[in-house]
Amino acid sequence: MSDEARVTAPETAGGNGHRPVREVEQEFVRGHLLQAYGCFSSGHKFCREVCPVYQVTRNEQHTPTAFHANVVAIEKGAAHLEDVAENYSYCTLCGGCELRCPNTLFVGDFYRNRTRTVKLVQDMRAAANQAGLGLWPRWQRWVEATMVGKNEPVLDYENIQPVDPNRVADWAKDLPFEIPRGGENILFVDCEAAYYRTSLPKAVAKILHAAGVPFGLMYEQWCCGGPSLEMGYPDHARYLAEHNVADWKKAGAKRVFVLDPHDYISFVDMYPQFFPEEELPEFVFMIDFVAELLDQGKIRFVKPIEKTVTYHDPCRMNKRLGKWEAPRKILRAIPGLTFIDVDHVTQWAYCSGAGGGFAVEHPDLAKKIADLRIARAKELNVEALVSACPWSERPLTSSGREQQLEVLDLLELVAEAMGLND
Amino acid sequence: MATLTLPNPVTDKVIAELEAALGKDKVRTDLGARIARTRVPAPFPVHRFAEYMPDVVVLPETAEEVSAILRIANQYRVPVVPRAGGTGLADGAVPLHKGILLDIKKMNKIIELDLINRTVTVQPGLNMLKLNEFLAPYGVFYPDDPASYPVSIIGGRIGTSGWSLIGSRYGHTRDLVISLQVVLPTGEIVRLSDGGGAPKVRKASTGYNLKQLFIGTQGTLGVVTEATLELFPKPEAELAAFFGYESFDEAYRSTGALSTSGLGTLAAVILFDERKVEYLRRDDEAYIPLPERIKAVVATALYGVEEEVRAAANRLFRIAKETGGEYLGDELSAGDWASRHDRYATPLHGRLPDGTVVPMSWHCEDAAIIYSELPAIKQKWHEITDRYIRQYGIFDNWGMFFYSNNPYKGWGDYLVEIDIGIWEQALNEETWQAWVNLKREITRATLEHQGSISACHGACREGDAEFIPVEMHEGGFELMKKIKRLLDPNNILNPSKNYLHLAYVDEEGAP
Repeated sequence: MSDEARVTAPETAGGNGHRPVREVEQEFVRGHLLQAYGCFSSGHKFCREVCPVYQVTRNEQHTPTAFHANVVAIEKGAAHLEDVAENYSYCTLCGGCELRCPNTLFVGDFYRNRTRTVKLVQDMRAAANQAGLGLWPRWQRWVEATMVGKNEPVLDYENIQPVDPNRVADWAKDLPFEIPRGGENILFVDCEAAYYRTSLPKAVAKILHAAGVPFGLMYEQWCCGGPSLEMGYPDHARYLAEHNVADWKKAGAKRVFVLDPHDYISFVDMYPQFFPEEELPEFVFMIDFVAELLDQGKIRFVKPIEKTVTYHDPCRMNKRLGKWEAPRKILRAIPGLTFIDVDHVTQWAYCSGAGGGFAVEHPDLAKKIADLRIARAKELNVEALVSACPWSERPLTSSGREQQLEVLDLLELVAEAMGLND
Repeated sequence: MATLTLPNPVTDKVIAELEAALGKDKVRTDLGARIARTRVPAPFPVHRFAEYMPDVVVLPETAEEVSAILRIANQYRVPVVPRAGGTGLADGAVPLHKGILLDIKKMNKIIELDLINRTVTVQPGLNMLKLNEFLAPYGVFYPDDPASYPVSIIGGRIGTSGWSLIGSRYGHTRDLVISLQVVLPTGEIVRLSDGGGAPKVRKASTGYNLKQLFIGTQGTLGVVTEATLELFPKPEAELAAFFGYESFDEAYRSTGALSTSGLGTLAAVILFDERKVEYLRRDDEAYIPLPERIKAVVATALYGVEEEVRAAANRLFRIAKETGGEYLGDELSAGDWASRHDRYATPLHGRLPDGTVVPMSWHCEDAAIIYSELPAIKQKWHEITDRYIRQYGIFDNWGMFFYSNNPYKGWGDYLVEIDIGIWEQALNEETWQAWVNLKREITRATLEHQGSISACHGACREGDAEFIPVEMHEGGFELMKKIKRLLDPNNILNPSKNYLHLAYVDEEGAP
């Protein structure tokens, strides 16, 4: 066990002070026991072969079934929380297992007892941190650095150094037009895109500009908070979220355009748990919006892109939110493009390894997951893999370089096909 | 009093030797590793959870590593329980004496694809769906198709002598394995095929047929580390047809007529009894509703080249109609057949006698019973189950299936399944013993009707295992004990499974 957890959220977020481990354990077991029995008593493990982590570790203890069995074992006095908590870092929170669970497929909703593995894993991570187990030093540093930089420390995975919060909108500097601050339509640019893949927000700004959609940026954009929640720091997540909601309020935002699936799921899944619905703006996923603009004839693809590509479904869109149609529609509309689709159900088993903090805590395994995703794309004899998630694009690009496969971003491709880069 | 030789506990010295042989990362003693490998989906005495936790988990990747593990276990006389997918329905992979849990899931490589001789050679930790995804571009497939197809793995199929949903057309696991590499309990690595040792020869009379000896042993005789498997052309046509009947008796007679039709493309005949249809109506929202007049169902499937299947379908529909069957339509037939793997896992919930819904564990009885005895077995099993439901209130009756059980033909004996729900959260020693007694009564009925205790899961559990000597009373069990002792002199491999602790009792004991 490392030194006591050093993460301290500002006062507004409440402390992350340690609680007695038995107290945390009891609360955790009480909250998850019924679902745990739903899985444990069934024990069918259909989830296993779709799990991206299991596919590369082949270790049964890193499976949703094991995550649930541990809860029963704790209840029966065969283990304690601290004996098993570490295993819960072996998850990308992609949600594929929940979809593949017979409980979800058939009877879960009917009996109001659906399997919720993503929540189970997040809650265990939070419980371990609350009890001060100190299991995941890299996550702790990551969240600490996020508190300092107000955005995730995406520029230095190795040493995890904070970014400069004043540079969150630097990506917009060399655009040929000015983007105002505030307004009814706000473009939210996630940490990875704002600091690392800056070509993506530029492309999105150009698309909105070309479509004649007025939009502004936040006065001071902070991380959405999702990664803090996923790494087991819900108070920190809430602290970040409160700032963003206040900023939108100040801006008079009615609609927030979101270019990253991880932000999007934070806004539509986590924020409603913290704030009443009427305090939140409408969240619009950019891919959906582009598909809509295309339908309405407000944007046009004028430049053929002569390439054969396949598409990577971002886990949070496809598996967690069931959104997979719009990107395919866009790809089919781009002239010159040959699109070889792998259906979204097959892609329940695909992942880039980047999500849920997995790449921060287990970089070697995350790389194996990305390598596998690229190898699957290579089998289709395509020239490029198109993704719609900036977090996936970094590891996929790196694996793609090794295996000679180009990795493209869908919204960047849209800007290109609209002729906005000429 | 007979004395029983039981294996020793795992000591630090054993763990140190395992680590020296395999490397530290393949030897795990943490509770997370052990809890994950404590149970299988069969009903579990959860109130005694810790009793079944292995002491150490090993994750070998080669036959040599498996051999090293077994040699160490032999030296120190500690138990080794092989575990494949852990999806078995009869506790084959559940440790009865703790010890070393040998998990083969990391051994999942495809070693060789031979399209000319139609074989694929694999390590045993590979899942069949993954294998078929690999084979698809070559126009061939491996037709071992259990309900757990998306997740179970080849080693476990061999260890249990698995049954396939389309086995009446393509054969079952034992018919699809051409040869095996096996590590014996004492560590020797051997290659065995059907009546000889040539890895790709399907039938030989050169030596003993030792391949079959190692199929269905539940890991009591050896650990399979490589298998050469049969490949079939991918079927051009697949047709599922479900028929409804106004009574079970009518459906039963129709099952007989359909399964003896002589159609070579017939892959499965499955009879659902009234209680199964009732259960589906009651609690399975995914089930496509059947007209109320339907009391029993027969599902059939045809696989083959298009011309064959087309012609066979005409004959099949004619027989079903002549024997009182009403075709239930394309949507139900195709839909239900397509979801056959997922649907078996439906009973995650059951009902208490007052209608309350609770998460329930699933017991899937799998006796092999000859056609003439099916109606009598059905009556007895329901009577037994309903009596226990009334008395204890923690069980639920989900009805019965009867599946054609033989390779390359529909007739003969049937895999007879009664599905029983058990509310595990409420288990204590008294109700667990009640469950085992229920199980015993079912097994006795099976034996009274000339059946075999298990068609494919294995007879490893209390309620099954103690009846093996009864079923095999004409010398069979005596021979099993001799073979077990010969190959596993120190009783280290999956000890006490299949009642084989009796092989090491110095004077004969009876159950």
